[in-house]
Amino acid sequence: MFSDVMVNSTPSDIAVDIRSVTKKFGERTIFGDVSLQVRQGEVVALIGPSGAGKSTLIRCVNCLTPFESGSIMVLGHELHGTNEAKRGPSREMLKSIRTETGMVFQSFNLFPHMSVVDNVALAPVLVLGTSREEAREQARELLCSIGLSHRVDAYPRHLSGGEQQRVAICRALAMKPSLMLFDEPTSALDPELVGEVLGAIRALVDRGMTMMLVTHEMMFARDVADTVAVMADGALVEIGPARQVLDDPQTDRCKSFLSRVLQQKAPSANTSAPSMGAQIAADAPTQEHEQARDTDRKRKHAEEVER
Amino acid sequence: MFAGILTLWGQYFGNFLGGLGISLEITVAGLAFALVAGAGFAALRLARFRVLRLIGTAYVEVVRATPMLLVLYIMYFGLGQVGIKLPAYWAAVIALGTFYAAQFTEIFRGGIQSVDRGQREAADALGLSRWQRLRKVVLPQAVMTILLPSTNALADIIKDSSLVITIGLSDLMARTYEATSATFEPMDMFLLAGVMYLVVYLLLSRVLGRLELNVQRRHG
Repeated sequence: MFSDVMVNSTPSDIAVDIRSVTKKFGERTIFGDVSLQVRQGEVVALIGPSGAGKSTLIRCVNCLTPFESGSIMVLGHELHGTNEAKRGPSREMLKSIRTETGMVFQSFNLFPHMSVVDNVALAPVLVLGTSREEAREQARELLCSIGLSHRVDAYPRHLSGGEQQRVAICRALAMKPSLMLFDEPTSALDPELVGEVLGAIRALVDRGMTMMLVTHEMMFARDVADTVAVMADGALVEIGPARQVLDDPQTDRCKSFLSRVLQQKAPSANTSAPSMGAQIAADAPTQEHEQARDTDRKRKHAEEVER
Repeated sequence: MFAGILTLWGQYFGNFLGGLGISLEITVAGLAFALVAGAGFAALRLARFRVLRLIGTAYVEVVRATPMLLVLYIMYFGLGQVGIKLPAYWAAVIALGTFYAAQFTEIFRGGIQSVDRGQREAADALGLSRWQRLRKVVLPQAVMTILLPSTNALADIIKDSSLVITIGLSDLMARTYEATSATFEPMDMFLLAGVMYLVVYLLLSRVLGRLELNVQRRHG
């Protein structure tokens, strides 16, 4: 999967440097004084209870949401809080940041009036100036690599949620980003469709893509993320290597969050120390199954083409 | 008696058709004016700067509070008094345009705002400019929400064009009125005019209905 996805690297080793950023909606503080670094090629998973500001934080990174104070360095571009900078980011800088950053939304947000291939080819044509034919060819290749070759000419409404989200991933990748932001990519999916989307994200991780991933899939975060950052009550409460944070949380806030989440998922494992190993074992077969189905589909398509 | 009506209708049909031509002419010209001005004011209402939004809102509120007949009188008699003497034809076109621009402003604004916020965010996240976002992502999806109320507004313009009788234009309504005083058969004459308005409306609603269906099929 994604054999043709190129991972660009910029001179600096730090892809994203969030420095004491504070975000408010009106009087309400969503999060305060959050600092976080993402190195090139690093996968950072953001977890925590709903409303903790995880999504808002990654939306600040590509300027979908302005923030009040602090600064964010994204791929060499410096963003400042609205309280500190007289003017917002210039149009050119905004375009650079968004071109170099791919985003995948919880609700997919595919363009419903365009076919799948046009969804993927739109931005390269409009923003990068790629020719229409070339962009569509690249879109087809991306869609094939993610196992959607049979859906190229379909419209989003005819796709399952999992397929829509995989198209959305292709749409972001078509811009050849050096950083991918995932905003709860599997939260709107039926449980049986989660695996195919996680499989696609995992393939990107294997290609060395730099990522910030907001998720409620703890097993997945433990599995693919280098670093896990836990946000709760408007602050970053814990950050560290994924397994360390998830298996042996240090702060009380993080412990209580994790134990609640994990108990909910596995009511039988009613221990205070969350036993993730057992659940990973339980997860594995479904993922294998998903992958098998995917390759099966690809093979079928190849046969059709040959004919 | 039935034969009598038909003879009378046959006698005046050509004359009425000429009047209908004028009605449709000012309708189409007024519509063109209203569409362009409506798009402009909708852009103001959705602008980033507060002053511009305020101007757009003020225009819509003022015009919506004003009866069409009053707008027509201001354009013809009012402006005439202050030295801007518009020919009746242009006063009618501008009055219809001004009045319906406010309706189209709201139709366009509503259509654009009905498009899910996530669509705009997706376009932004891909690096599209505001103009590209509007043209490629938002407007195509707003078309359906814009088309239906537009059909209604168009039907209203045709009917409101009959008000130009009051400033001396020889439209379908004016010719009907003249015919009643010539024949002393108001019922027959008004019925003929009614049938002609009905035929125009039916044609229009069929054509626009088909257009809507096409758009729907394309966009789902």
